[in-house]
Amino acid sequence: MMRWVGSLLVAAAMALAATVPAAAQQPQPRQGGALTIATIGEPPTLDPMESTADVVGLIAQHVFETLYTWGDGWRIVPLLAASDPQISADGKEYVIPLRTGVRFHDGQEMTSADVLASLQRWMRVAVRGRTTAEIVESMTAPSPTTIRIVLKQPYAPLMALLSLQTSAAIIMPANKQPTPLTEFIGTGPYRFRERQPDRYVLLSRFENYSARSDATNMYGGRRTAYIEELRFVPVPNAATRIEGALSGQYGYVDSLPVESVARLRGQQRVEPIVFPSFGWPLIFLNTRDGVTANPGIRRAIAMSLDVRDMLEAAFGGPDFYQLDGAYYPQGWQFHSTAGAEGFNRPDPARARAMAREAGYNGQTIRFMTTQQFDFHYKMSLVAAENMRAAGFTVDLQVLDWATQLQRRPDGALWDMFFTHGPILPEPTLYSFFNSGAPGWWSTPTRNQVVSAFSSESNPQRRAEIWGDVQRLIYSEVPIIKLGNFNALAARARGLNGVQPAPWPFFWNAWLQN
Amino acid sequence: MRQYILRRLGGMAIVMFVVATIVFVIVRVIPGDPAAIMLGPDATGADIAALRERLGLNEPLPVQYAIFLARTAVGDLGQSIFLNRPVLQAIAERAEPTLCLTLIAITIALLIGLPAGIVSAVNRGRLADQVALAMAMLLASMPAFWLGLIFIQRFSVDLGWFPVAGYGEPGASFLERMRHLLLPAIVLGLNSSALITRFTRASMLDVLGEDYIRTGRSKGLGEPVVVMKHALRNALIPILTVIGLTMALLLGGAVVTETVFSLPGVGNLVVSAVLRRDYPVIQGALIVIAALYVLVNLAIDLLYLLIDPRVRY
Repeated sequence: MMRWVGSLLVAAAMALAATVPAAAQQPQPRQGGALTIATIGEPPTLDPMESTADVVGLIAQHVFETLYTWGDGWRIVPLLAASDPQISADGKEYVIPLRTGVRFHDGQEMTSADVLASLQRWMRVAVRGRTTAEIVESMTAPSPTTIRIVLKQPYAPLMALLSLQTSAAIIMPANKQPTPLTEFIGTGPYRFRERQPDRYVLLSRFENYSARSDATNMYGGRRTAYIEELRFVPVPNAATRIEGALSGQYGYVDSLPVESVARLRGQQRVEPIVFPSFGWPLIFLNTRDGVTANPGIRRAIAMSLDVRDMLEAAFGGPDFYQLDGAYYPQGWQFHSTAGAEGFNRPDPARARAMAREAGYNGQTIRFMTTQQFDFHYKMSLVAAENMRAAGFTVDLQVLDWATQLQRRPDGALWDMFFTHGPILPEPTLYSFFNSGAPGWWSTPTRNQVVSAFSSESNPQRRAEIWGDVQRLIYSEVPIIKLGNFNALAARARGLNGVQPAPWPFFWNAWLQN
Repeated sequence: MRQYILRRLGGMAIVMFVVATIVFVIVRVIPGDPAAIMLGPDATGADIAALRERLGLNEPLPVQYAIFLARTAVGDLGQSIFLNRPVLQAIAERAEPTLCLTLIAITIALLIGLPAGIVSAVNRGRLADQVALAMAMLLASMPAFWLGLIFIQRFSVDLGWFPVAGYGEPGASFLERMRHLLLPAIVLGLNSSALITRFTRASMLDVLGEDYIRTGRSKGLGEPVVVMKHALRNALIPILTVIGLTMALLLGGAVVTETVFSLPGVGNLVVSAVLRRDYPVIQGALIVIAALYVLVNLAIDLLYLLIDPRVRY
């Protein structure tokens, strides 16, 4: 009888629990603790203006903030700016209102003088800042809470450039901006404490952080530093990162090989975070010099490639990649299938005929790749064989990453190189949009379409023009997109509030125990 | 002996000069550019050229070489391009893990290798000898990175006895830091013990066949005294040479083990510097490693004096 009553009580309790709103069952954020984050390696610098490396952006975004950032759905939302800018009717003048009462880590209050000095440094030091400087007519601080930017021509990517985490337009005190940086003073929810190269970068909670009051959305809105201390530790060996995740030594582990997801599933201490369609594997072609300057030959090369085989070789199964020709996956503002109908239609015989017709007569095609990213190498091996099957003479040059980076700017040294990149919310942030960047894509049609895209500020119209850009990429083949790949990270089960993001962030995250 | 030491130190200066020159040439012959790495893959040629100018990499090579030699001669190994600190400081910061790892690993190697080699030699051809030789062969043929990963999986992940990697949390105590070194030291110690076992066995076998050993036994000396006092002491010189070489190699950085275990040691520093093309760090670290190599060998040569009174310099 007692057992029966007990069972009834348990059942009643379970039924009651089922009626409790799900939100009430969620663990509540709590303050404190230290989180160890395993990254892919030592950041080359902690100045995110100076580098486009993701690991720099990942760490530095906790210390430094930008005027704008990315909200849900990759909308641009204000961060240190008080609101959206007022843009003149001709699209050339941006007046940016600044938040007041924002404190730097050294106690100073942010003013427009700091913002102006920071943006001027950005236009001197940052790769993307220097590109922007060519378009900026003037930049002034008409009041302590306003920045005014006047452009030579309308330039829609400006807002994205002011939001990005790498080569970032971070805001620092005007009197603490030497190059290279010697102090790391920002406005972020965490302050820099210590760096032991190849051991850790230590950040601690900034108690006087001036948080926004609007609701959290992705990188935007209210940021709360619950965790007391963030420790970014470089663990370059991927196998060690996996074991570190499994053992619970690290609270968050970045950039794991996707094939390790099976080992992470069903574990007590850790669970995988899959970021679908994280990035693209890409082949850049030299459109300026040598044999691939001929667009007919570039089209023939694209026709020879079996993208599915390449992705299978690199990632092992369709759970880890998408055979998608659209540069932006479904759901993104810029999603378009324009031109993508020709994606992954490998036809060696037709490729051979196209190459011959374009005037190819057996010249060696120098194809640079690296083993430092395993999937680069595997995909390049398949691509080289595909090309050989279509009659191309391929010299696959396996170089270390540093050598490849050094060779890229010299167009006499290469015809193709393999690389990859995350899917960025603004297409003009990609280097192939810069005709001065390796690849040197610059044709009258390209210049016209890219100019139309860059100067258009209406989001809907931009999305339409992006379709034209994508169609042109498929037609002129300055790059070859090879599907999308997923990214994999891992988090300890006690770590809450972390969401998949290209640059994972740990404000608003908390530790359960 | 003082003259001998001075002569060796003079020779060391020449070795250092040769090493410095070779390293300077090699790091500039290999392709790759620190400016390109620092700026990332989206940098243009103009960006890279501007940073090269700022870093002083556009000076003519003979000028760079002259500056490098002049600075090295006064003990200034330059400034790291990436770490934003003097090279000597960067090396000093990594000395502790490498030094401690070497000492623990060599201790483990000796604790295994010496007894195994002695037992093997004394029991030549018997089961104990064959087991010791097989173990030595097995340990020598297992790559350190593989053994490291297997140990991590078993002892760190499954059993939780050791941390997986790293050198302790910020502010970790000395003991905690040493705990992080134990597993990599065991891996290195096992690897190194194979060589010591084989050398000890070979050296002991040579000595055990000598007349004075037979004389000792015929005088009625116990086997432990014959083996440990008369045979081992005379067999020690080649063993000591191997220990010295192993130690010098480990001090130069157990590159693979440090990488697998993410230890911030000298080996890791050199690997990172090569990948980043941090020229001053590559040059400085290799010069320091070469100096250590020469010094350890000098110390071993001097130790011969203590072990064998017949040795004269």
